[in-house]
Amino acid sequence: MGDYVYEEKKNYEGKNVKALGSTFEEGKPDATGNWLAKLTTHEERLGYLRTALRYWYSNEWYGSEKRKQEA
Amino acid sequence: MTDETLKSIDKATTELLEKAKKDEIGTVFSRAEQIKPCPVGLEESCCKICAMGPCRLPRTKKALQKERVGVCGATIDTIVARNFARRVAAGVASHSDHAREVAETFIKTARGESQGFSIKDEIKLMEVALDFGVEIENKEVKEIALDLGGRVLEEFGRQNGELRYVRKAPLKRQEIWKKFGVIPRGIDREVVEIMHRTHMGVDQDYHHILLQTTRCALADGWGGSMISTDLQDIMFGTPVPVLGSINLGVLKDDEVNVIVHGHEPLLPELLVVASKDPEIKALTEKVNAKGVNLAGMCCSANEVLMRHGIPCAGNFLQQELALVTGAVELMTVDVQCEMQGLQSVAECFHTRLITTSDRAKIEGATHIEFHPEHGFDTAKKILKLAIENYPNRRHEVYIPEYSQDIVAGFSHETINYLLGGLFRASYRPLNDNIINGRIRGVAGVVGCNNVRTIHDSGHITMIKELVKNDVLVLTTGCAAMACGKAGLLVPEAASKYAGSGLAEVCETVGIPPVLHMGSCVDNSRILIAATAMVKEGGLGDDIGDLPVAGAAPEWMSEKALAIGQYFVASGVYTVFGTTWPTMGSDRVTEHLFEEYEDMFKGMWAFEPDPVEGAKLMVSHIEKKRKALGIDKSRERVLFDMAMRRAIE
Repeated sequence: MGDYVYEEKKNYEGKNVKALGSTFEEGKPDATGNWLAKLTTHEERLGYLRTALRYWYSNEWYGSEKRKQEA
Repeated sequence: MTDETLKSIDKATTELLEKAKKDEIGTVFSRAEQIKPCPVGLEESCCKICAMGPCRLPRTKKALQKERVGVCGATIDTIVARNFARRVAAGVASHSDHAREVAETFIKTARGESQGFSIKDEIKLMEVALDFGVEIENKEVKEIALDLGGRVLEEFGRQNGELRYVRKAPLKRQEIWKKFGVIPRGIDREVVEIMHRTHMGVDQDYHHILLQTTRCALADGWGGSMISTDLQDIMFGTPVPVLGSINLGVLKDDEVNVIVHGHEPLLPELLVVASKDPEIKALTEKVNAKGVNLAGMCCSANEVLMRHGIPCAGNFLQQELALVTGAVELMTVDVQCEMQGLQSVAECFHTRLITTSDRAKIEGATHIEFHPEHGFDTAKKILKLAIENYPNRRHEVYIPEYSQDIVAGFSHETINYLLGGLFRASYRPLNDNIINGRIRGVAGVVGCNNVRTIHDSGHITMIKELVKNDVLVLTTGCAAMACGKAGLLVPEAASKYAGSGLAEVCETVGIPPVLHMGSCVDNSRILIAATAMVKEGGLGDDIGDLPVAGAAPEWMSEKALAIGQYFVASGVYTVFGTTWPTMGSDRVTEHLFEEYEDMFKGMWAFEPDPVEGAKLMVSHIEKKRKALGIDKSRERVLFDMAMRRAIE
């Protein structure tokens, strides 16, 4: 914790609070952020479609579109 | 004498303009000084669809609106609407013919008939297969791809029914489209029908013409463009965050410079692979070059940048200037936005201009046709030509020392992941931060460059104004490249340019305040991102309810009009700069600028001043926030079960 930098900021009530500053690593990445590579099996990929892309590929997801009558 | 430094806000551009002027090389900038826009054409008050005309009906005649009729009796409203419709149809045709080429290559890849291509993104394959009703369980990748490819091709020639992607839109949006009868049937059919309806003596009610224009435009956004994006993702990979660099300074004095210019990423993908081939490397050593430096131009650049981090040399108005450096051995062009003037500039140097599409040749250029069956061989052949040309440099090379880091690759899927994680990927954090006011809304600022404006100025001025007002910006095409050059596409830009609320969110997530979403066909990604925001909940149940707006401050092409029309028809308030092509008719303009809001909850606006344009967008965003009841901070109330039951 000692290495972290804290900044004085105002919160929503206008009070001064101590907030954690930047924690990113210096420098430039030498590879792409290929998060899709984490999904290796067919089941994982299907699971990703049903959860991450649930807006379209999960039967249980309605979000704000839940309605009595379908369009 | 003109001052070249006033023509662009980009120093690399102005330095090369000075050089072009000194060397007496004509470019789009110098030609624009000699040719002023036709005032009648500018307001589209001219009809030349039959040989009884052309009928010129400009406003300058001071005639009453009802007296402005052509020889056949067509009113100025009909004439302006027909001209607008045809321009939108041309834009739709361009994106969709791109899609057809990609679809055909996709099928050949699935059959194993293409050279150098493969199915790289099986997740996206499954996703799109589900969109098209393809069974994905217990089937091989090749089998799924073949089935999908066949169904995708059917989208072009279908005569009746609905485009499949339409079902991805919010349900309420689909209801609106149904109500006005604008759901596209088949992509080609909608373009053909516009050409028929706007023939002499057919559709002569501007409301009716514009409805078909809307249907045709939707066949682009929710058809051709979406097909291009998705199939390219399947074959080349869905973009993920990647670091690249941009501007003419990416060219290298001691390497063989090859620029890929155009829109279809098929050959450029193979040039990327071929440039790493041992045979190519050995050949570069023979000519004493340090390697092959592949760089992109226009949307081809966006495609290879966001998938491979290949440097981007510049946007539309920089295409000739790249050759003025004298450092380019070879430029390939395929389709769209390639100026014929390139060949004249190439002839001033040693540069070889290579046309590669069977649909596009340029007089004087070398034609090496790309076919996926022997695509890799073609890519190597082109690189060999470039290497052979390296010793032929006959002018002093001048490469401006300007290049900028850029982070690209913000596909809809990546934004979803960055906001929420792998399996809990979600737009919830974005929606929440819009609701709590840290982010006021989202704007899509896209489109071309136009030599009638100061190069890149409209984009950058507007976008800085938006992010300053806590509006998250999504960008594509030449607008995205302008942002890259101005340093807006790196995470550090958040603290430098964004309002405190937006900066806070960007720093937390680790994203820039302006997200590079790809090429011009990738505006379809913005439609999907907007749909995801709706489906996530809390911001209404339609794209038209969202606090969002769109803009193309430096537009010039017919494709931009098609994009704008499908954004408007999808419920997005869309501001265009530079010029507006229905100014010849008050009624057509009023219909698109005002009445469309009642019909589609999205409408057009025209504002040449980018700051005023940004203000219009922010004002619209505030209007939507007010309608959603999120314009004022409210006390947070934790609902118990009884309270929840009471609201059902």
